[in-house]
Amino acid sequence: MKKAPILRGFTLAYLLFLYSPIILLPIFAFNDSRVVAFPLTGFTLNWFSEMLGDVNLRNAAKNSLIIALSVASLSTVLGIFAARASVRYSFPGKAPLMGLIMLPLVLPEMIVAMALLVVLLSLNITLSLLTVIIGQTLICTPFAVAILTSAFQSLDRSLEEAAMDLGETQWSTFRLIILPLVMPGILVSFLICFTISFDEFIIANFLGSGQPILSVYIFGQFRFPAKVPSMLALGTVLVLFSIILLGVAEYFRRRGIAKAGGKDTGGFL
Amino acid sequence: MTFSDDRPTMIEFRDVHKYYGDYHALRGINGTIKAGEFFSLLGPSGCGKTTLLRTIAGFEDISSGVVMIDGKDMAGVPPNVRPTNMVFQSYAIFPHMTVAENVGFGLRKDPRSKQEKARAVAEALEMVGLKGFGNRAAHALSGGQRQRVALARALILKPKVLLLDEPLSALDKKMREHMQVELIKLQRQVGITFILVTHDQEEALVMSDRIAVMFEGEIAQLADPETLYRRPNSKKVADFIGTMNFIPAEVLSESGDKVEVEAKGLGRVTIDASAAPAAKGESPVVGLRPETMTLLYDDQKAIERETAGVIDEVIYFGDMTYYDVYLGGTDVEVRLSMRNVPGRPVLDVGEKVRVAWSPSALVLFR
Repeated sequence: MKKAPILRGFTLAYLLFLYSPIILLPIFAFNDSRVVAFPLTGFTLNWFSEMLGDVNLRNAAKNSLIIALSVASLSTVLGIFAARASVRYSFPGKAPLMGLIMLPLVLPEMIVAMALLVVLLSLNITLSLLTVIIGQTLICTPFAVAILTSAFQSLDRSLEEAAMDLGETQWSTFRLIILPLVMPGILVSFLICFTISFDEFIIANFLGSGQPILSVYIFGQFRFPAKVPSMLALGTVLVLFSIILLGVAEYFRRRGIAKAGGKDTGGFL
Repeated sequence: MTFSDDRPTMIEFRDVHKYYGDYHALRGINGTIKAGEFFSLLGPSGCGKTTLLRTIAGFEDISSGVVMIDGKDMAGVPPNVRPTNMVFQSYAIFPHMTVAENVGFGLRKDPRSKQEKARAVAEALEMVGLKGFGNRAAHALSGGQRQRVALARALILKPKVLLLDEPLSALDKKMREHMQVELIKLQRQVGITFILVTHDQEEALVMSDRIAVMFEGEIAQLADPETLYRRPNSKKVADFIGTMNFIPAEVLSESGDKVEVEAKGLGRVTIDASAAPAAKGESPVVGLRPETMTLLYDDQKAIERETAGVIDEVIYFGDMTYYDVYLGGTDVEVRLSMRNVPGRPVLDVGEKVRVAWSPSALVLFR
């Protein structure tokens, strides 16, 4: 490979610019001043205890967990059906249908949220956690489909045929052969949808109807300078949480490849 | 070499057609496969041989016609209840299971006890030469081992018919030749009908009791290997099986069981009607295999016919030498093969030679 010092320098500067703000988060979360500015004044765990003592925050976190778990489950189940259908079967109108399923990926989320709000209100449906779950599932399903499609695609078709040839029905073949082999993909899809849902703001804000939801709550708290350090502490926890989740997802993805005896190409970690 | 006709029929095709949309993949397949036979479907890629195999397994529905297995019409019978098992081209070894779990997979609904099943698995593994491999992870096996696992997994269910879809194509040459012999032995040992799909004519000739040569969705010829090689029923089959020289000819007269032709470079020959398959309206040629011709050294005399020639090309193979020879001062070039035995030096390009041949080795296509 040819050396290109300018490109290398540019890449480094770019990565630094991108990620250094995230490093500031834990730095100020442990700093014992309400003012978020250098120089640092001292070490403290106060902001973490203040965060843990906040009832509203705990409530918001609980709601966010409920939403994220539901959205991840729903999106992944829908994703399994859609991915399986798109990989294995051909039917009239398949291409436009798959296109529609993937559309929320490129649609501005703001538009989706507003459209959903208008529809839900005109149908006289009360906004609740459920409406947030429905909205976020719409956003997360394309991710699940994309992840699971590649999982189903890497499955040799003759494995299914072999199982049926050896006496299994379509359903037991799915249970004994297909499901175990795409399980890493299912776990990855679940974890990624969970992560997306957990910090999603626009739909949570539009369709949440004032229910405390973590992302919306954090945004609200930033209006009060006194609350900022404890929000940074929360942010630190969430960053850690996300890294762990993605790490687990990547672990399963790699284990899935190794189990099937394949070679690792790419991946996000 | 011919397969006894008194064996019961295992598989019967009656006017089987298969369409994929507009594409006519199988165009009226007829024929029977006998019980205990090693049968091959041979043809170039896209000829429909794999499709035909998959209609036996039940993976493809046929558009019209009848497929019978052991006297039963297979219409609407799904693969999991057909008395057939398949060895897939990719072997389709379940990667998340051990070797023993793979081999025992088909026994899941078998009422036998765990120990009996384990014994059956061990026996099946021993039969394919993988004794003691049961606990290995399936994805850690070599190509040849995978194939043996696939064989054991299919044979443990004691199917009436074992279907093999290009099972040797993924192996290297040495391993392939080794497995050919092993498969023949295995087939004799278990006595099950084997149906092999292959594009390798040599493989089909080595292994099969009978071969169906397929082109473009049709069976061009169904015969035992020797008939197929010595008496191909069309120029296309002759060209696909082994090497055949085609020499332009002119039919002079035809009377009863004899055909008189004038073959360019060879002269006037009388050919037996049995070596002259039904006319197809093509311009007549006579076919001659390379090994049926011999170069005459020194004062050797031809037993039957002799034609002068000039060597155009020499291809040395170690045990054999192939010579391309212009016949009798014409532009007709034939390839002939000579064993390299002592006292028979390899000749040079441009040397004048005498070629001995026999009219009985000729086949007439027209």
